[in-house]
Amino acid sequence: MLLLTGCPRQALFVVLPNAEGGGVGAITVEDGKTVTTLDQPYATAESRAGSTAPSEETQGNISVIFRSAIAARPILPHHFRLYFILGSDKLTPESQAAYRAVFDDVKQRPVYEIEVIGFTDTLGDLPSNEALSLARAAAIRDALVRDGLDRQAISIAGRGKRDLLVPTADQTPELRNRRVEITVR
Amino acid sequence: MAGGKKLRLRLALWLAVAVLIATAGVPWAAEPSPIAQIKKVTGQAVVLRSGERRPAKVGEMLFVRDVIETGSDGGIGITFIDNTVFSAGPSSQIAIDEFLFDSNDFRGAMLAKMRQGTLAVVSGDIARSSPGAMKITTPTAQLGVRGTTFAVQVYGDR
Repeated sequence: MLLLTGCPRQALFVVLPNAEGGGVGAITVEDGKTVTTLDQPYATAESRAGSTAPSEETQGNISVIFRSAIAARPILPHHFRLYFILGSDKLTPESQAAYRAVFDDVKQRPVYEIEVIGFTDTLGDLPSNEALSLARAAAIRDALVRDGLDRQAISIAGRGKRDLLVPTADQTPELRNRRVEITVR
Repeated sequence: MAGGKKLRLRLALWLAVAVLIATAGVPWAAEPSPIAQIKKVTGQAVVLRSGERRPAKVGEMLFVRDVIETGSDGGIGITFIDNTVFSAGPSSQIAIDEFLFDSNDFRGAMLAKMRQGTLAVVSGDIARSSPGAMKITTPTAQLGVRGTTFAVQVYGDR
């Protein structure tokens, strides 16, 4: 299938605009002698036979070279947070609506994996919060399964009050900490 | 007799606990666990695993040391468990030589070897939480990732 001939290989490296819409990161290209850093959209470097240098490649050329690779890109992973009523594994009314967005996101995907991690605020002791955080994750999993999603594709975990979204003192009720974090990919 | 039984039971329990502790949080130390899932396939694409070559199928899981290859009309998209996304165009070969990821602190390491073709990448948790821990090697140079969207082409002399 592949034609791997003996001829010397070359490589082209390019930073693309952030596919998730955030800031642009950076890549480094090392060939044993030099390190080339690329940190701007469409910045390119070429390397061959042990030497690497920044290069000039038009945006049009870059689009042509990587058209098929970018077309093969799956739907990117998405992250969601849902919030809970104090001391319970029941969603707040606002988050009940937001739950639909999670479900709709999953339904767009030909195949999917879902991770649900539960958290609590700092009210109460450690063991009961461990249990409550897991119960929250399980409640969301069960809802997704009831709505027709594959149980095997959903993993759950509970982190209790160990991982606060909003730092608070102990024994502090805080809505934003009573949550599940969901990754759909 | 009863005392001996109790002792053996206690010993077995402690052993079970020790095994649980030893394997907790180090998913790569135990059974080989999946590191990515094939999300999209166009045209001809195969997975090479322990010398065997099988057609790539959407939904199939990938493991460390798998190699993905595409034909002259092929494309493949995969998403890793750290949410890194790879997509390769035609006539590409990419080996996933190393992959470690701890979902508790999002740290890990990844090494992919690209021999030919085109690859577009959206980096995930490993590049975000462990700068420099994600690397892609090509025949001429090694790419280090600090968290971004980028692409690599490896080609012969024209």
